[in-house]
Amino acid sequence: MRQGTVLGLYCSALIGENLQTPIIQKHWCNDVSIQRASLIVVPAFAKYLRSVPSLHEAEPVWSAPQDTVCIHIQRGELVYLGIVSQEVPALEVLELLEGVVLALVEYIGHLSELTIKENFATVYQLLSEMVDSGSAVTTDTSVLRGLVPVPSLVDRVIENVSGIGIRTEKRPDVNTSSTPWRSQGIRHTNNEFFVDIVERIDATVGADGSVVSYDVSGDISCKSRLTGMPELLLVMNRADAMDDVAFHPCVRTSKWHAERVMGFVPPDGQFKLASFHIATDAAPRLLPLQLRAAVSRQSDQSHTIEISADAGQSGNKLVEKIQVRVPLPAQAYNIRVQCKAGTHAVSNVRLPQVEWSLKSLSPADRGARLTIQYQVRAPSAAGTGAPQLSPSPGSSQSALAAFVDFEVAGYSVSSIKVDSLKMLVESYKLFKGVRYVTKAGSFQLRF
Amino acid sequence: NMHTDDLEIKKLIYLYLINYAKTQPDLVILAVNTFVKDAEDTNPLIRALAIRTMGCLHVQEVLDHLSDPLRKCLKDPSPYVRKTAVMCVAKVYDLSPTTAEENGFVEDVRRALSDSNPMVISNAVTVLTEINEMAPGQNVWRLDAKSVPTLLAAVNECVEWGQIAILEALADYTPKTEKEAESICERLLPRLQHANGSVVLTTVRLLLNYEKYVHRADLLSQFTKKMVPPLITLLSSEPEIQYVALRNINIILQRHPKLLSKEIRVFFCKYNDPIYVKYEKLDVLVRICSERNTEPLLNELKEYAREVDVDFVRRAIQAIGRLAIRYESSADKAVKVLIELLQLKVNSVVQDVVVVLRDVFRRYPRNFADVVPTLCEHIDYVNEPDAKAALIWILGEYSEHISNISNLLGTCIESFLEEEDEGVQLALVNSAVKFFLKRPQQGQALVLKALQTATEKCANPDVRDRAYIYWRLLSADPNAARTVALVEMPPVELESANLSAPLLEELVAELGSVASVLQKPSRLFVYKKADKAGVPRDSEMAYTGLDDAEGGAVSAGDNGTTGGIDTSNEGEPELLISF
Repeated sequence: MRQGTVLGLYCSALIGENLQTPIIQKHWCNDVSIQRASLIVVPAFAKYLRSVPSLHEAEPVWSAPQDTVCIHIQRGELVYLGIVSQEVPALEVLELLEGVVLALVEYIGHLSELTIKENFATVYQLLSEMVDSGSAVTTDTSVLRGLVPVPSLVDRVIENVSGIGIRTEKRPDVNTSSTPWRSQGIRHTNNEFFVDIVERIDATVGADGSVVSYDVSGDISCKSRLTGMPELLLVMNRADAMDDVAFHPCVRTSKWHAERVMGFVPPDGQFKLASFHIATDAAPRLLPLQLRAAVSRQSDQSHTIEISADAGQSGNKLVEKIQVRVPLPAQAYNIRVQCKAGTHAVSNVRLPQVEWSLKSLSPADRGARLTIQYQVRAPSAAGTGAPQLSPSPGSSQSALAAFVDFEVAGYSVSSIKVDSLKMLVESYKLFKGVRYVTKAGSFQLRF
Repeated sequence: NMHTDDLEIKKLIYLYLINYAKTQPDLVILAVNTFVKDAEDTNPLIRALAIRTMGCLHVQEVLDHLSDPLRKCLKDPSPYVRKTAVMCVAKVYDLSPTTAEENGFVEDVRRALSDSNPMVISNAVTVLTEINEMAPGQNVWRLDAKSVPTLLAAVNECVEWGQIAILEALADYTPKTEKEAESICERLLPRLQHANGSVVLTTVRLLLNYEKYVHRADLLSQFTKKMVPPLITLLSSEPEIQYVALRNINIILQRHPKLLSKEIRVFFCKYNDPIYVKYEKLDVLVRICSERNTEPLLNELKEYAREVDVDFVRRAIQAIGRLAIRYESSADKAVKVLIELLQLKVNSVVQDVVVVLRDVFRRYPRNFADVVPTLCEHIDYVNEPDAKAALIWILGEYSEHISNISNLLGTCIESFLEEEDEGVQLALVNSAVKFFLKRPQQGQALVLKALQTATEKCANPDVRDRAYIYWRLLSADPNAARTVALVEMPPVELESANLSAPLLEELVAELGSVASVLQKPSRLFVYKKADKAGVPRDSEMAYTGLDDAEGGAVSAGDNGTTGGIDTSNEGEPELLISF
């Protein structure tokens, strides 16, 4: 009673800033539904987007007229929309759109209306390789690179960014071997393999420094420049602490389950080998940065926020690139900021906001402090019969949270390390490198 | 002129032709020769391109020229060409099922299920499910036990999209034996560790569907345990993916309520989550909260109630009420939190808190007499009809605990006629009567005034009738009035926020799909399906609405002691019982 993907599944992928005039669209369905899609559904969807208070509040899966469903994502300044007229896994569509975005980024760099228009030919070719008659075929860029040539101007950029030598033979090759991510006959003069372990701490910290929620996830990214068809074995020290591991298709999952070892034939260039999640009960809740906040109100109109930052547990490493962003209520004015260390800036693009940057903080340093004072415009007198109440319901008069960013190089908060990296099959000398970094993911301080 | 050797230009010309064919189908036939020639090219890329383009043209005339090259390409040495050719069969079938059958293309695709290349296999699965969909009821293809092992082998090797197609097919397959079901599940467990969220969710769907075939308790609990970490991981992806994951988690939790109870903190809202994610998280939070972790959750909900979005704040406050009603041990803390929120003096918060407090008070009568005076301090801020009615109900119920009650009720009755809401007026009449019955001396003037106004000046027949009945009851037999008005109320029960059982079954079976996100079965919104199935589209199944806690806390177990007074006022069930 249910099917995977059908003709005219993602009837149109419209990539548009202004949805009424999509920059690009591609249909995989018969004529009638194309007309429906472009004439009725897309304007209806655009109308829906305009009807929500802000773009980001539009539900990603929206039941559209004409018995279709609009599934969209928003990345950068563009909206990517898939229209579905059949029952499909919603995540498949989302992941596909995501994959399209990633592939386009890899091909043409920064995505905007302009760059997409400049590279129409490439974009169209990519879309027709990625989706055939409404079913996703592949979004893997290493496969796509074999099918669609990278636009020549960008060749060099990609080579610089991802470190891949673009093979000289002009004719794209078709690789359908059992290792579709790696083609035959790759050569490098220097054989190198780099592993980057990036961990992110997602946390919400209460004003008193207590941890409200805490979560660590990480990626193992690799950069491979290896000759031939090497087989690698990567052994981690605390494989069991990795609670949920998602692998690149190259990793042999059976081996992982049996021996907790990652065995794989790596793709060439930059790729994400695995992403993992640390079981919450397996890790102590270490915070490299200890934050506290105190909010006080001198009067109804005048507020003060004090934020203090001290070095926390970071394995004696320097906490770097600290940034604290405090959005203030829309009615705030007369904003005064003082800080003992670092620099601060007040911006007022849509909402007033204070940014505080600290280059680094080491355990030896004294804690840093930031004080923000601001006033709120007196509420307009049009109360609804209850004089002392905040008039417009919900318009909160005080700032509620700060967003924090930081980075600790050479530190792994979960204490996961690479034990060893071995190469089988090929027998040349190989240069190995491992780096660790812990970053703030979605890290918030509540007031 | 389509003769060009440059592949890129060729591709663009073909793309143009596909668009051209939509407006000028007759002229496209002129290009057919080039296609046929290209389908014999030495470069597999060009062979595949030609086949694919011919299929995409969607023109009847091209079909006759397509058959021969397609047959050849289905047996092409290059797997890339084979998998493209397999996809092309679906397009042919869409245009003309007979052509596809007569030329044996469908049979060829069935044979492709045992191809050596996993990508060809997965495409074959995709095409066969598509064909099934196009020809409902004909059962062109049924996954049989013979193909299952090949699919299981292929699923580990093909790309993510192919995996989804195979997993989808397997999820709808009915295993022949329990053993087979067990081994399929075990073979597919590693799929839960895929970076693609859709692979993960489809695997979860398969495991849930297979629960009815697998009976070994240890295996079942192992399966459910394995589902947890990947579901949690989905929550650290992009908000759009989080949203779909949360909607589905909401459904899974109705099947396995205990599944995530340890992970409650993962669902705490971030300040900058999009609002649609916040709503879903709130739903999940209330759902998975157990008696042990009510305290942290209540503190968390209090934070949410300070946020900007009015709707979100309201839902957070209602969630506090739901927790209080569900777990008696948490009620004290919940009421404390609610009173604290009251003191924020934000207009909308006050209204919502009062309504929720009424429900909590009803659930635990007499427990919270001491907070009522605090509540009364905020009486001037209450201005929405719902909140007013709730507050007046509380006044009537706790009249003996409030020192200046005559003043408070008096002022309310002064403005009786200014109230436009029937609910508020009814509540006033009821409370005045209750007050009178509890303290006859103080209440006499008040109740007379209330009943007089209600019977003589009120335009609403329901209110008038209610007042008349009270009046007669009071003058005829005050004791009878007492039994009617001051009767013990049946305890409030939590209205279930669950989907109806058949709908839940249907949605679990379609987990991860658009249906599960919209939480209505696909036949109601998918155009073709509804027509084919002949189901009336506006069937009643449409919304078994998920939890709109509005009044949700009350409403159950009502019609206990209405004393023969029937109002057709379903929106305010609490009034019925509050005599």
